[in-house]
Amino acid sequence: VSEPRGPLLFKDLDTPGLATLATYRAGGGYETLKRVLVTAKKSAAEVIEIVKASGLRGRGGAGFPAGLKWSFVPKDSPKPRYLVCNADESEPGTFKDRELMEKNPHLLIESMVLAGYAIGAHTGYIYLRGEFEYIQKILDTALAETRAAGLIGKDVAGSGYEFQLWTHLGAGAYICGEETALLSSLEGYRGQPRLKPPFPAVEGLYACPTVVNNVETLMNVPFILREGAQAYRQWGTEKSSGTKIVSVSGPVKKPGNYEIPLGLPLRKLIDDVCGGMRDGMKVKAVIPGGSSVPPLPASLLDTPFDYESMGAAGTMLGSAGCIVIDDQTCMVDALWNLIRFYEHESCGKCTPCREGTYWMNEVLERLEHGKGRPGDLELLESVADNILGKSFCALGDAAAMPVQGFLKHFRPEFEHHVTHGRCMVNRRRAEIAAMSAVVTV
Amino acid sequence: MSLVRVTINGRTVEVPAGTLITDAARVAETHIPVFCSHTKLDPLGACRICVVEVGTPKLGPDRKPVMGADGQPEIAWMPKVQTACTTVVSEGMHVRTETPVATQARQGVMEFLLVNHPLDCPVCDEGGECQLQDLAFAYGLDYSRMADAKRTFESEDLGPIVKKEANRCIVCMRCVRYCSEVMGEDALTAHQRGVWTEISSFNRQPLDCEQCGNCIEVCPVGALTALPYRFKARPWDLRQHITICPYCSNGCSVRLGVRREEILRARGTEFRGVNQEFLCVRGRFGYEFVGSADRLSAPLLKLGESLGPSTFDESVTFVAARLREIVALHGAGAVAFLGGDKLTLEEQYLEQKLARAVIGTPHVDARTRHTAPVAGDAILRATGGGRAALTFDALVGMREVLVLGDDLQGEGPFAQAQLVRGARQKGLHLTVAHPRRVKLARERFNGAHLAYRPGRELALVNALTRAVLDLGDPAGAPPEVTSKLASLKTALAGATAEAAETVTGVRADAIRAAAKRLRDADRKAILFGRAFTEHREAAALVQAIENLGWASGALTSTTASVMYIGPQSNSQGALDMGLVPDRLPGYVPAADATARAVFERAWSAPVPGAGMTAPEVLAAAASGKVRALWIVGDDWLASAPDRALAEQALARAELVIVNEMFPTETAQRAHVVFPITSFAEKEGVVVNCERRLQKSIRALPPRKGTRTDGDVFQAVAQAFGASWAYRTSEDVFREIARLVPGYQGMLTAMMVPHGPQWSLPAPHPAVLTATVADPAPANNGDGLWLLAGATLFLQGSLSHRGALLPRLAGEPRAWLHPDDGRRLGIAAGDAVELTGPGGRLALAAALDDSVPAGSVFVPLGQRGAALNRLGSAPGTGLQVQVRKTAVRETVGA
Repeated sequence: VSEPRGPLLFKDLDTPGLATLATYRAGGGYETLKRVLVTAKKSAAEVIEIVKASGLRGRGGAGFPAGLKWSFVPKDSPKPRYLVCNADESEPGTFKDRELMEKNPHLLIESMVLAGYAIGAHTGYIYLRGEFEYIQKILDTALAETRAAGLIGKDVAGSGYEFQLWTHLGAGAYICGEETALLSSLEGYRGQPRLKPPFPAVEGLYACPTVVNNVETLMNVPFILREGAQAYRQWGTEKSSGTKIVSVSGPVKKPGNYEIPLGLPLRKLIDDVCGGMRDGMKVKAVIPGGSSVPPLPASLLDTPFDYESMGAAGTMLGSAGCIVIDDQTCMVDALWNLIRFYEHESCGKCTPCREGTYWMNEVLERLEHGKGRPGDLELLESVADNILGKSFCALGDAAAMPVQGFLKHFRPEFEHHVTHGRCMVNRRRAEIAAMSAVVTV
Repeated sequence: MSLVRVTINGRTVEVPAGTLITDAARVAETHIPVFCSHTKLDPLGACRICVVEVGTPKLGPDRKPVMGADGQPEIAWMPKVQTACTTVVSEGMHVRTETPVATQARQGVMEFLLVNHPLDCPVCDEGGECQLQDLAFAYGLDYSRMADAKRTFESEDLGPIVKKEANRCIVCMRCVRYCSEVMGEDALTAHQRGVWTEISSFNRQPLDCEQCGNCIEVCPVGALTALPYRFKARPWDLRQHITICPYCSNGCSVRLGVRREEILRARGTEFRGVNQEFLCVRGRFGYEFVGSADRLSAPLLKLGESLGPSTFDESVTFVAARLREIVALHGAGAVAFLGGDKLTLEEQYLEQKLARAVIGTPHVDARTRHTAPVAGDAILRATGGGRAALTFDALVGMREVLVLGDDLQGEGPFAQAQLVRGARQKGLHLTVAHPRRVKLARERFNGAHLAYRPGRELALVNALTRAVLDLGDPAGAPPEVTSKLASLKTALAGATAEAAETVTGVRADAIRAAAKRLRDADRKAILFGRAFTEHREAAALVQAIENLGWASGALTSTTASVMYIGPQSNSQGALDMGLVPDRLPGYVPAADATARAVFERAWSAPVPGAGMTAPEVLAAAASGKVRALWIVGDDWLASAPDRALAEQALARAELVIVNEMFPTETAQRAHVVFPITSFAEKEGVVVNCERRLQKSIRALPPRKGTRTDGDVFQAVAQAFGASWAYRTSEDVFREIARLVPGYQGMLTAMMVPHGPQWSLPAPHPAVLTATVADPAPANNGDGLWLLAGATLFLQGSLSHRGALLPRLAGEPRAWLHPDDGRRLGIAAGDAVELTGPGGRLALAAALDDSVPAGSVFVPLGQRGAALNRLGSAPGTGLQVQVRKTAVRETVGA
């Protein structure tokens, strides 16, 4: 076993056999659950207060304070409450939850029992993206073990608290990562977002109070309850406490998942953590938070990686799917690639996102293939502007923001496409030319 | 309800809390465009065309509004535009629709809506009345920035009604939502996602649904259009007339599109009528009979043995002369008038006036399908004695609704839609008492189904009443009711839920639970119709409903939430106008000489007392006691409860006069047939099951050679020497409004399409008596209990005269439970023969587990399935033998 990959979630992640109950327990697993529910008999309100004090924020993308979200569940509702784990990890460039669940399923289970206890839920669901069938098997095996050990079920660890936990596989739609669309899909309906308000904390799954949390968010909970809120704050900044798993992709020497303290400058992440760029390439841009956020040009690489600093730099931390783009990549091609994804994944519920992503994709395809026209860039900006803030959910914004960001920082490359009919820089020029020939035939 | 003040484009209005901005804007006379929003559907917020800027008063640290320099609260504008169709107003809210931000957002959405739209307005049936077209003119650009290839779909026929051109679709989901939330059919769905979202049926099968076409109606663009109307006309070439649908007693407003003298389509009426956009398949596509080539266009007169064309004057003279002879020889009591429940109110009034005041006979009854005599005021009492009646609007908001005995899918499709919407959107709970698992009893509506044994209605209603009374006396009942409850309890002492379980087969705890729900609900209603009134125990049953109404609190001194869904469009009017032998117009007792005197003075003629009901006339005519029959708008051979008796009556009668549109079987046995105009060719008031007076207007000139029933009655009255001089239906209505209790002073009703409901200033006293049901267990011979009822596609004789409705209905079938099918060796599609006490009927068999075991269901009024051929039997039900036959005999056409 090499040295730990990270201080908290990644500390023991590569322990062989961690996915089995025995190994997980050998490392102290389920002890926190027992302490909170049985030995210390902490009240649900106390648990929420500790999580609030830790400053833990949602790791799925929005960064909403987790403890606060839990406290929104009405105390006096006669309806059952639900805890739903959002394991639909679909954001391009993000691949952290899958490794966490693959290697440490029991940590998620323990976390969900604790979170369920805090909000007074007796049923939990883990909503997995359709492609995570193999993870569902891992989780189901772990759940069976846990159930047999009496750690979930009618009477969790003899505490008298009931918590049932089930996995559910989605049918393959990016939109189902949006929490209300996830709930619709979980109920068996078409996966489309719902009106808010009412928010899920008031009317969520089956119109009952529901908390939806990301995998990584939940997995921080046992540490916080074991070591205390202050211990969690040893990492990160005042407003962005704790560690964050960053999924780094692109031509860095060592792409992959890394657990870093929030606030680490991007340059350090690329140069120190990921070993710098490979093959002598230079960074042109970084999309720091998954495909939905605007890119940062190389000039802003010193921006610290935390919620506030990223916001100030005109982008977002998002899901921390950090896509590094090198200087030989055509930004028109890169943007087309992104927009093609959004056009394909727009759920179709609202007009701006449905039609706008299609339109932008058409224009970008044309542009990339040398068929750009004067005015195309203004058209793209205008279409993006007509989507931004007018769509039903954040998917439309997520498609519009990269367009605005790419045009803001890399406009000359787009203009070059319009005026010259080809890329300013492109490692894949030959490849694209071949595709272009096919298209024109 | 508390009011909030909201300022829209500078104009402040007060609206109830909970109002959406789109609705508040209407009050403020500001137009906010919508596509996906619809008054009957839950807000969706998908199309985004309604985006506006919204601000609320800025709150200081003390949670009080911060005041600006002008003394007005400062407004905190939301950073993003908001959808007006999903945002609820709050106190002090400001809304702006014309700012650069709002305008640009709206224009952006409009442009997006046209990105993939084919702009094929010139070949689109919706063109000219398309909301997308209208709003593109109002809010769109006059050029397109979209220069790339559009996404395209294939067009698709979703069955015989719905044509889909998905390229035109703007994915507002109105069709899918309406189909689910209002119709409860869930026949439509969205395939794929994103820009590839396509509305279709499941697995692209022909739509398996009520074929109501409301998806077409609510489609704001030309994505769904009606196949029967495809490419027939442009809307601006049509004259559009809003009149009242002739099919059932719900009284939906229907907008007929007429070109030259032909009806090309029927549509709903946005914002008007009880139904607004809603129509059922009959209302939307059942107008074909008006233009039928089979319509009679000249009076027919029997000279010698054959019926031949005649003139109107000759026929009138003949009728008057023959009636005079019969009255002179046998007395006026030898004449009977049957039918009239499809006429206008004015014609109904004239029918009974002709019978009573001119000819002098007391025998006049519109209820030709009745199998047993029922008092003319029984339904009035069961529905609250004339207290302000239940509305369809109120029905949606009920907590508990008990539907007794009828399948509303056939008897009142709009009532059914209101109940579906209540159940789907507003927490309405349904209790459906019906032997079959009818639509409203399906699991998807989360109601309770009391599946009683056919013929055992009385035991069930009595047990419900007894169970309700066991829970204590009702609140809000007038003293005259409370004083009678004790004797009712005594009378129902034996009607326990357990006793009813033995007789009806409905579990005792289900009866008690239904009774408790009905009693406990703060808003509740009871609906009943022909299944009870045409029952052999109708008199006791209608009385039992009155008992239940008072006992459960559905009837109180101020509210009357029991609704009678009559079998025909103006069944209610027929009762109101005295087309019953024991009641004069306004439910004045005919037997009461003092009460009668008012009419005698008004009509300047003696008025006879009470006469015979329709079933009594049937028997009397068959035995030769009634010698002249005037059958009004009714194919009596098909509708009389016993066909053999009716045949006998027609054969024996010296004079048979028929008012008809078509050469029906009955008309062919007549001595005189008057050719009658259709509903679309005449005007007058009809009264729906809400007791609402609605003006039916003339959309077409009368078919050549036809007369209205009113004209016929007047001509005969004049030939009889009466000084009738009504020039228009309004002249008649003025007389009604002067004379008839409940209708007095309702002169506006003759002018407006959606008039008021009538009520009696002094309601009739309640009667609370109980007839104890036959406690004997059902006779389990080897026969099957016959179940009959109207179904969706065919109701009455009119629906047969077109092509579409009979095609949708398919061939008539006898429906059996699969277990009975197995027991009798009958498979679906087999030829079977039903044998009753009076005759036989050959049909094809169908198997369905919605029919209870031990029963056979035959849809009412289908051609070739004349149930009255089976005869009638005394007692509580009719048992028939069903057997498989080798080859199906030819059934009557």
